[in-house]
Formats: sequence, C-alpha cells, structure tokens
Amino acid sequence: MSSMTFGRYSFRETFIHHLDARNKIFLMILFMVGIFFQFEMWSTALIMSGLYLLILIVIMLISRVSLWSLFKSLSGLWILIIFLMAIYIFIPNNNYYLPTAFKVGSLEVKWDAFCQSGYIIMRLILMISLTMILTSTTKPMDMTYAFEWYMTPLKPIRFPVHEIAMTLSIALRFIPTLLDETERIMKAQASRGVDFNHGGVFKRFRSIISLIIPLFISALERSEELANAMIVRGYDPKAKRTRYRLLKFSWRDIIAFLFIGAIFAGIIVLFVFDRKEPVDIVNLIFGQIGGKGF
Amino acid sequence: MSKLEIKHLSFSYDGSNKVIDDISFSVEKGTFVSILGHNGSGKSTLAKLIVGLLDKNEGEIYFNDVLVDKKTIRDLQTKTSLIFQNPDNQFIGSTVEDDIAFGLENRCFPHDKMQEEIEKYAASVNMLDYLKKEPIYLSGGQKQRVALAGALILKPEILILDEATSMLDPKGKSTVRKVIDRIHKENKELTIISITHDIDEAMLSDKVLILSKGRLVKEGKPQDILRDEETLVSIKLDMPFVYRLEKELKEIGIDSKAESIDQLVEDIWASK
Repeated sequence: MSSMTFGRYSFRETFIHHLDARNKIFLMILFMVGIFFQFEMWSTALIMSGLYLLILIVIMLISRVSLWSLFKSLSGLWILIIFLMAIYIFIPNNNYYLPTAFKVGSLEVKWDAFCQSGYIIMRLILMISLTMILTSTTKPMDMTYAFEWYMTPLKPIRFPVHEIAMTLSIALRFIPTLLDETERIMKAQASRGVDFNHGGVFKRFRSIISLIIPLFISALERSEELANAMIVRGYDPKAKRTRYRLLKFSWRDIIAFLFIGAIFAGIIVLFVFDRKEPVDIVNLIFGQIGGKGF
Repeated sequence: MSKLEIKHLSFSYDGSNKVIDDISFSVEKGTFVSILGHNGSGKSTLAKLIVGLLDKNEGEIYFNDVLVDKKTIRDLQTKTSLIFQNPDNQFIGSTVEDDIAFGLENRCFPHDKMQEEIEKYAASVNMLDYLKKEPIYLSGGQKQRVALAGALILKPEILILDEATSMLDPKGKSTVRKVIDRIHKENKELTIISITHDIDEAMLSDKVLILSKGRLVKEGKPQDILRDEETLVSIKLDMPFVYRLEKELKEIGIDSKAESIDQLVEDIWASK
C-alpha cells in the first residue's frame, strides 16, 4: 500500500507545482471536457487521441511526475479494459464504418469495436492521469482553498463551504495514513492465519471483514483524537481565520490558461468542422490518411 | 501565586465508576510537573479535564485564581496547549509549515508575519530544514517535535504533554525529551505538565504526582518520589537506573545522592 506513491503530493520546483490551485482545477476540467468531445471520423479521433497523449506526456515531464508510477497505478485497470472491449466487440451496433476484423460464427467483429473501446480506455486513462497529476502537484491545503473559493457563491445560502473544504482537506491528508494502517492490519491478520488472497467468495468476504472492522475502529479513534487536537489549537469552524497560504494568480497561470485554452478552442473548431463539414478536416491537413474509408 | 489549582476534581464516563476521584493539587507558574500512573489510572482523562475537552462532574479548577466554568473555559483553552500521544493523529496540515501555521490561522495571526514566526518556532525544535516535508516522510520523533512547535507558537502559559514520547523509538524519545528540557529551561514562565510512563522524563521535572485508580496517591520532588520503590512498583514502574544503581552501591558501602550518572561516577571515584 505504501508503494502507492502516484497521486500523492510531493514537493518539487516545477512550473506546474507553482500554478494556482484554482487555475489547475479549472484547466483540468476544461481539458477533460475537451477529451470527451466525440468526433465523427475515426481518423480525426485517432489524431486527437495521439495529441492528447502527447500533451499528457508533456505535462508529466514538466511536472516531473514519473511515467513508470503512472503505469503501475493503471495496472489495476486491466479488468475494466477487458470488460469494455468485450462489450464493444460482442454487442453489435449500427454505426460501423470500418471493415470486418474477424468472424466468430455468425458474429462479425468490426474494427470499429476495437477503435471505440480503445478510444474509451484512452479517455479513462487520460482522466485518471490528469487527476493524479493534479493531486501530486497540488498541496491538499491549496486544493481545499481552491474548492472553498469555487463554492464561495453558496455561502449566502448558509451552505457549509468551509466545513466541507476542511473535511476534504483532512480526508486527503489522512489517505496515506489510513493506507499504512490498512497494510499494518492486513499483515497483523495474515500473521494470525487470515488469507486475503485465496479461497471462495465467502471465505474472502470473511477475511475482508477482519480487515474492515479494526480499520473502522482505528479510523474512529483517530478522528476523535484529531478533533481534540484541532479544538486545543483553537479551531472553531464558525470563527474567522487568517490564512498562511494565499492563492495567487501569476504569469505562469496566464501561460497555462492560454495553452490549455488554445487546445480547447482547437478541439471545438475541429469538432464543428468534423460534424458539419462534408470534407474530412484531417485529410485536408495531413492528406489522404483518414476518413470513413480508413 | 498558584497558576493552576485543582480542587476535589471527580469525573466518571458512565456516571458510576469514577475515573478521577477527588483529586486536588496545585501547579506553580513556570514549574515542570510529571504525572505518573499505571494504564487506566486516569492520567489522560485528567489532562482532558484541565483543557476542557471533558466536562468535570465535581470539583473546581482555578486558573490564575479564576474559577474555570463555561464562561471562562475559552480563556484557559487559549492559554493551554496539549500534545497527544499519537504523533499522526495531531498532524493537521499537509506539510510541516502548514501544520505549525494551523494554530496561528485559528488565532487570526496576520498573514505577513506568519512565515517569520513559523521559522522561529520550527528552529526552536530543530525542524527548520523540514518545513516543506509532508508527515509521511517524518519519523515519530520529528512529528512530535512539529506538534511541539505548533503548540509553542500559540505562546501557551501551560503546556500539557499527554504521553508525548510513549509511541516513539528510543532515539525519538531522547530527542523530544531534550527539546522539552531545553524549552523548560528557556521559558521560565511556561508551566509544563507531563503525563508519562517515562521515568527518565519524570526525573527532569520539578514535581511528581502519582495517580492510582483515579486517586492522587503521592506528590513531591522527583528525588524523593522516584526513590520510593514501593510506590513505583505499585504503579508498575521501575526505579530510574541511577537510583537503582545508587541503592546497589549503598549495599556495598558507597553512599551517594546522585541525580545523574555523571554525578554518580564522580561519587564512586570520590569514595575510592
């Protein structure tokens, strides 16, 4: 568990670490929305997927987030990938443009199914990677302040903005602690003969119970002690507070905003042309490499 | 003038079994008091009662000769800091500097003066080089020193340590103990109440209180209390090494009233 380092904040002197958390959240959402634009032409989708992956790699390199730890974190997704592929391959639909890949009895499997599932998986990977880059380059406290800032309009209707932000910050802060605790309890139970890796569904369920109950008890004890620690240090959710960390919009944020904004604008332009224009825009730019006859 | 005075304090979690039973004592300003006792003797409950985390059933607490009640408890809380046993459960900020700043933020301390203050108090517990570090990369002793900085930055009049070294390894214990000793020597106005099992830490104090089954069974100077083997055995503690050695030496005719190993060695040489 303690090996789960990807997505955990670590301090580095990089351009992305120094961005305003509010801007980072906004740009991440903007990029994710862009990723989810559906293109008509497979060639456009393919080129755009490559471009998204390239941008992701560039962002990772700038933020000095390890590619290897990303792959390790995504390794748990293979079940979902197989599941998605099976759905797209074996459940037919009428939107096929590409030729048949192979036949299983009377079932014709088109190349579209592979492209579609690949496209969905790529979006999923991009979303997870972007979220993890955000969490590994932004201090939980800054993230809390950013969420609080975004929820400010809800304050007049007495929405507990600060309380939610503080809860979120503490939850983020305690994720590694609780992961370590889980590992400790698992080892302790395993040393008493509990097997978490073998056996049928019921046996595994019983094993998990032996992990969950002590973990809950420990988490409740921790929360009580944490609440006491906050009270003795003068915390009052209703009281006015000053802040050590102030969010500041700098020249870096303008550059990042312009960069992601330009990409988003490009996606929209491409999306409009791709749907409305009878001519394949990618073919226009790159020659006869894409289109429905792919 | 007595800084903190406890009179006939009693408390029960369930209404019948008294965890604290008619305890009375006073702590003078600037003194270092250790409270010793076996598990379940009510030491931690006593700490929580003093800072108002629990409501007492009976008795009175006076702080600067003012009775602590619902109206005045806030005043006591702003002048008291409490360090808990588990270093992980009191680390609120995402980094060392954020955690030290937490109390200042609650006190509405001006933002432009925070950095200087944080650095000053981080340096006082030898944690200046770790300001950007997250708790996951710190040892137990380092986390406890951060907790100390976070407590001291609020400039408390009373610092309560609730078994602050009990979850640390020997090295962590020794470092935290040294920091506490230095803080006590440098801050003549600061009252320290240490709830502990650590007999060596108790030796640093000016006064020792022994709790057993919720009652105060003995109080006095550490030199007297920690030489009382019978009382220490009753609360399942050993005599400090130096006193045990002193007792053994007495049996072979070397008389010493040493308070430290160095002093004891000098006495042995002098006897030759």
